Amino acid sequence: MQIIVNGEAQEILSECTVFQLLEDKAVTLKTAVVELNGKILRQELWQSTAISASDSLEILIFMGGG
Amino acid sequence: MNDIMQSVNKTDDSLLIGGVNLLSRLFVGTGKFSSHEIVPRVLEASGTQVVTMALRRVDWKNPQENILNYLPQNTILLPNTSGARTAEEAVRIARLAQSAGCGNWVKIEVVQDQRYLLPDNWETIRATEQLAKEGFVVLPYMSPDLGAAKRLQDAGAAAIMPLGAPIGSNRGLQTKELIRILIEEISLPIIVDAGIGRPSEAAEAMEMGAAAVLVNTAIATAGDPVFMAQAFRLAVSAGRLGYLAGPGERRVAAEASSPLTGFLQEGN
Repeated sequence: MQIIVNGEAQEILSECTVFQLLEDKAVTLKTAVVELNGKILRQELWQSTAISASDSLEILIFMGGG
Repeated sequence: MNDIMQSVNKTDDSLLIGGVNLLSRLFVGTGKFSSHEIVPRVLEASGTQVVTMALRRVDWKNPQENILNYLPQNTILLPNTSGARTAEEAVRIARLAQSAGCGNWVKIEVVQDQRYLLPDNWETIRATEQLAKEGFVVLPYMSPDLGAAKRLQDAGAAAIMPLGAPIGSNRGLQTKELIRILIEEISLPIIVDAGIGRPSEAAEAMEMGAAAVLVNTAIATAGDPVFMAQAFRLAVSAGRLGYLAGPGERRVAAEASSPLTGFLQEGN
């Protein structure tokens, strides 16, 4: 199914949770920040939140900055 | 160096922000370093307790490593809202950063001007008001202006962070007189952010009575960032001590340091 990740269309397997999506991409799990359809999704909900077709996710991490 | 730190500590000269007593008055940014690996060494050499970073979209095809993995456990994290062009965007970034579980401090940075990256004080005031209401410890980056600083104070800012010169310019305290006025007129800590390019300029800001300075580019782009971090640590301590000591009066003409009587040639 198709979803939007950081503004770009991505094809992912169906029945995938937010946690699995991040794990597959090896995004540093502990400190990533996720917004699902415009709402912050707290880390404790990643395992129980399934991604649906056409969901829009923002996945952010901290980078060097002043 | 330990002697200097001890003399500063003797005066019980901590800086209270957001309920935390900071012993170091040097805040350090983590941008522009050649590698993540050097960051812990820089932070240790700087003696800093407050470190800034930015929140960005992960590169989905090639995920980068999170800078947080390179910061010491006890560091106070000061995420910035860089990339925000409006108060609403800054508020959104602050909430996202907070949801990562890295505390409730935030550096508000709202910029529309892409050449000089000068902050938009009006949007900054609006963002500060909202985030202070939500319980954030808000440190707004601002163009030094007394009226705006007063409004930021009223909006609930924990400190005011005027720029010395454009971000990353290493040009020093170009706005010195305006910063001096803020130090004199605003009761909140004034933290000089942006533009400081040399340790001497950090010392100058501290001598004027700035509560702290935030340095990034000057350290990150130095030939040896670890040495430069140490140099800034010493400069900030020296400037602070100079301020606490109370500099003597400036004069136009000379005033002899040696006695003006008892010269050898007298009476010859």
